[in-house]
Order: sequence, then structure tokens, then C-alpha cells
Amino acid sequence: MFFLGFIFEWIDRKLIARFQGRVGPPWYQVFADIIKLAVKEDITPLGTNPWLAAGLPLVAYSSVATAAVYNPVVGSTKYSFAGDFIVIMFLLSLPSLLYFLAGWICTGVYSVMGGNRSLLQYFSYEVLFTLALSGAAIASESWSLSGIIAHQVNSGANIIHQLLGFLLAILGLIGKLKRSPFDIPKAKSEIVAGPLTEFSGKKLALWYLSIQLQTVVGICLVINCFFGSWFAAGGAHRFIAWFVFAILVQGLLSLFYAIYARLRIDQLIQLTWKILIPLSLVQIAVLILL
Amino acid sequence: MNRIIIPIGPQHPLIKEPLSVRLLLEGERVVDSFLRLGYVHRGIERLAEERSFIQNIHLMERVCGICSHVHTTTYCQAAEALLGVQVPERGLFIRTLLCELERIHSHLLWLGVLAKNMGFETIFMYAWQYREISLNIMELISGGRVSHSVNVIGGVRIDISQAQSGEIELGLQKLEERSAQLLNFVQNDRSFHLRTKDIAKLTIDDIKKLCVVGPVARASGLDIDLRRDAPYAAYPQLDFRVYVLEQGDVWARTMIRLLETLESVRLCRRILSRLPHGSISVDTPRRIPPGEAVSRCEAPRGEVLYYILTDGSQNPARIKIRTPSLTNLITLPLQLKGLNMADVSVAISGVDLCISCADR
Repeated sequence: MFFLGFIFEWIDRKLIARFQGRVGPPWYQVFADIIKLAVKEDITPLGTNPWLAAGLPLVAYSSVATAAVYNPVVGSTKYSFAGDFIVIMFLLSLPSLLYFLAGWICTGVYSVMGGNRSLLQYFSYEVLFTLALSGAAIASESWSLSGIIAHQVNSGANIIHQLLGFLLAILGLIGKLKRSPFDIPKAKSEIVAGPLTEFSGKKLALWYLSIQLQTVVGICLVINCFFGSWFAAGGAHRFIAWFVFAILVQGLLSLFYAIYARLRIDQLIQLTWKILIPLSLVQIAVLILL
Repeated sequence: MNRIIIPIGPQHPLIKEPLSVRLLLEGERVVDSFLRLGYVHRGIERLAEERSFIQNIHLMERVCGICSHVHTTTYCQAAEALLGVQVPERGLFIRTLLCELERIHSHLLWLGVLAKNMGFETIFMYAWQYREISLNIMELISGGRVSHSVNVIGGVRIDISQAQSGEIELGLQKLEERSAQLLNFVQNDRSFHLRTKDIAKLTIDDIKKLCVVGPVARASGLDIDLRRDAPYAAYPQLDFRVYVLEQGDVWARTMIRLLETLESVRLCRRILSRLPHGSISVDTPRRIPPGEAVSRCEAPRGEVLYYILTDGSQNPARIKIRTPSLTNLITLPLQLKGLNMADVSVAISGVDLCISCADR
């Protein structure tokens, strides 16, 4: 999972570069970036609790890593229990809250502004993401990921009747990962780097790692919920199938990054609450009625 | 409600040059803003008094990093007026060609900066990629991509050969195609509209009151363009369109600049096809007789004004430069008032600031 994070980060950067008419970085660039950050001087800004500043990225990373354990890659995991879907959703939303806290404990105005914005954004995409993925759980009448996958193996992949839900989940994932066009909390030209402005060195590297891992776990979760039937069955081709789907989802994320301008926070909230969330409710209603 | 002050600059990812804007915020809304200038003041006007007229050409080229050629053109025009020399036709045409290429380069650069600041990296990359074509053309002509050292008092230093002219033509064709793509995008892209329409509006009354010039004024409905109103260099012999829009928001400013880019490309091709034969410069004396002169040019950002006072020696007695950025900068507090914090970056980049011009 850890290495997959790097691989997808590289694929992402390469894809975006190609969309933008650039060449893109070589494969080892992603490793080099983290190593470079890790050996840089680690500054704890004045007026910040050093234990909190060090603890937040650690907790963020470990919660995502825990989610990674329960999230099946290529259709299987050793650790599965009834209701693990909800646990994963919670563990994935934890880093966003910690991200807000990271802004709050710093005294800089950019950090505080960024923290406030990330909390505002939290209330829009988190609902969307949860509702969109719940569609898959409702269809299979199970709140565990292995149940969801097993249901898809029996009666076809969810994407066939839940294309809308899939697209909404992608949008929710973009908001969760704070990627462009929903990168409002860390809008560089407005508030420098948002909550992470005051972080440096190893702590910043850890934040980046947790976002990287979050990307992979998010992608896994989405393909588990929507493409389950095609790779859960045995055989060597399932690895290839899984990888193809994962790259497809990553490609969509990169595409959205490349083709839209950053929205304003009020525009984002209007978009999610007035259009996207009603749409996801429609999707769920259709599933229940059928 | 709690009020906080957010500093933008002198060091901030938004503006690459040192300008300080302090925003007084109430929540996410800007209540007031304070400008502070002078971080890159280099004392060029004073320095010019210590240098000879010929040395000053190179000094004036360094007032601005983007529209360097327009500054030397304005300076040379003033000196030529004092000497009473007439620049040969071919020299004037080559001067004009570089002015227009510079306009293309400046506008595309600006579009990239605006796109970057509103979080639209892709357009930034493409705009700068296309801008490279105009830089290559300028390099082909003068050997310099940003500072050309083409102007001398009495004409230009560098001629354009037949072979060069063919190559420039090819580049211009490519540029026309690409700028039309960008124009199409600005006209039709919805997420771009969301971020730029009705943002940082200026009415025509504000424009007149604050003496705003250039594309910002034209985007608010004020029909001014020195190339047409007070023609200089080869402009009297060329026909071109001056675009004016009424909306006065950032979107209109973008449209105006892209339309101008396209028009400039066409103008460049017209200049190349009509390039007269003959010499490119005349010899001028080192000393300039006592007197004073004012010269004006339409830079990519608006009107540049040079005032030169001479006392008959080798050096000018006084040079005063008035750049468009300074006049346009004054509109910022007016534009920023009541804006959302997220739109501040779009508004500030929408003016197309050149701080090194404004500070000198």
C-alpha cells in the first residue's frame, strides 16, 4: 500500500503533465521529494505546541494506514468484519479534521484561514462521498466491504446501475483529497499553503505521505464498491484488471485537476448541496425502489 | 465580527514581484486594503542624469522586464524630437514590429499568471508554451528574448533579412492559431466564467476619475489607444482595430487582452508584408541641444510617458517616466473592497501589475 501510494502519485503527476503539454517527472521523483523533505530542517513555529504539531501528522498517517489494512486490495483482505465499511469511512475522514486542527494550532493567519476553509469544505464533500458510496452498500445489503464485493460477484458490478453514484463518489474523493478544482483550503495564490504553511521537514513529509496514502485508499474503496465483480474472482488476470480500474479512477482525478479552475468556497458549497447531494439521494432512492 | 489583517506580499506566492497589499478581512470578505510600494525602487530617474544619452537607452530598457522595447522606443522618440531627426521608414517599421511582438508576449504571459492564480494550471502551461513562440521570434530578430537592445537614437540597430522574415511569418501563423484557441476557451469555459465574471468591476466613471489606461480602461468602455489617438512610429500607415468592451470585470479584461493579442499577430504580418526598403537608421550627434520633450507610447499595459529636459550637455538634465502600472495600481483598493478573499488573487492579477515599472 505504501509503495502503491508512490506509484499513483507518480502516475498522477505524469498524467497531469501530459494533459498540460509537459513531459512530467521521472518515476523516482516522488521518492526524491519525500527524502529531500525528510532531511530538511524541521522548524516548530513560535506559539505552537510542539507535541501537537508532531502528533497531528502522525495520527493522520496512522488512521489512513489503519483504513488501508481493512480495505481489500485486489479483492481480498485478511481483516474483515461486519461494518468495516463504516470504520473505513470514519478513518478516512479523520485526517481532514486533523488537517483543520493543524491550521488551528498554528498562529499564522494563512493557517487559520485555511483551517476554517477546510472545515467548511468538510461538511460538503464528506456527505457527498458517504452518500455516493452508501449506494453500493445499500444495493448489496451489507455494510462490510467483503460483503459488497461478494454481492457484485454474484449479480454484476455496481457501476452498471450506479454510474451516477460512481461519478459523484469521484467528486467527493476530489474534495476529500483537496485536489484541484476543490483545493480551496490550500489555495496557493490566496493563503500560501493553508494549514500546512507553518509545517516543514519531516512533519510536512508525513502530511504528504498521509495524503498520498489517502489517495490510494480512496481509489481502492471506490473500485471495491463499483467494479467489484471483475477482479474478485481468482486468476492472474485480476491483478491486471484491478490495476486498469485503479488507473482509470486516477486518470479521472487527474483529468478534473487539469480541466477546471479552482472554485470559490461558496460556489463549492452551492454546487454540492444544491446539485450533487440531491443527485446522490436520487440514486439511493432509485436503488431502494428497484 | 472579528476583523483580521491578511498580508499579501511583499513575499507571497500570488505576486512574484514585491508589492505589499494588506487586506482587512471580516470573515472572508475584504473590508479595506492598504497598498505599499517601493520595494524595488532602483533610482533609475536619478541614475539617468549621470549617464549619457546613449548609455541611457540601455538603462531605460531595464525599467521593465516585460515591455523593455516600448520604454526604449519612447525614450528614443523624445530624444529624436529634441534633435529634430526623422527616422527612416524601415527603421520605424522594425520598431513597430517589436512593439507588437512584445504586446503578444506580455498578454500571453499575463493570461498564464491569471490562470495560475485562480488555480487553473493547465491554461498557465499552455499560455506560456505559446508565449515561447513570440519569444523565439524576438530572439531570431534581435538575439535577445526579453531585452532586445534594438533601438538607437535615430532608428534601429538590427535589420530583418528576407529569410528571417519567412521564418517569422511561420511563427506568427502558429501564434494566430494558438491565440484563437485561447480566445475560444476564455469565451466558452464555464469554470473560467464562474471565477472572473462580475469580479472587481470598475465603471467608466471610476476609470476617468483615476486616470486608468490601457486594457483595463478599454475593458470598462473607455475608448483610448495611443496607437490610434496619437500615432507614433509606423502606426499612421497601418490600419488595425481597437477593441472596447463594456463589462469592466476581470473577464472583460481577459477578453480585451486576447483580442488584442490576435490583432497584434495580424498587425505583425501586415508590417512584414509591407516592410519598406532603405536604411534603418540615421547618424545623430552625441550632444542634444537644450530643450524639453514629451513622448508617449502605448505599452501592453497602457500609456508610457517620458519627459526629457536637456541642457546641451552629454547627459540629460532630467528624465521623468510615467508608467501605466502606477496609474492602474491605484484602482486596487477600489476593486478589492467587498470582494471575497478567494477573488482577491483574481482581482490583483487582473490589473496586470508590473511592480518594477511602478517603482522604477
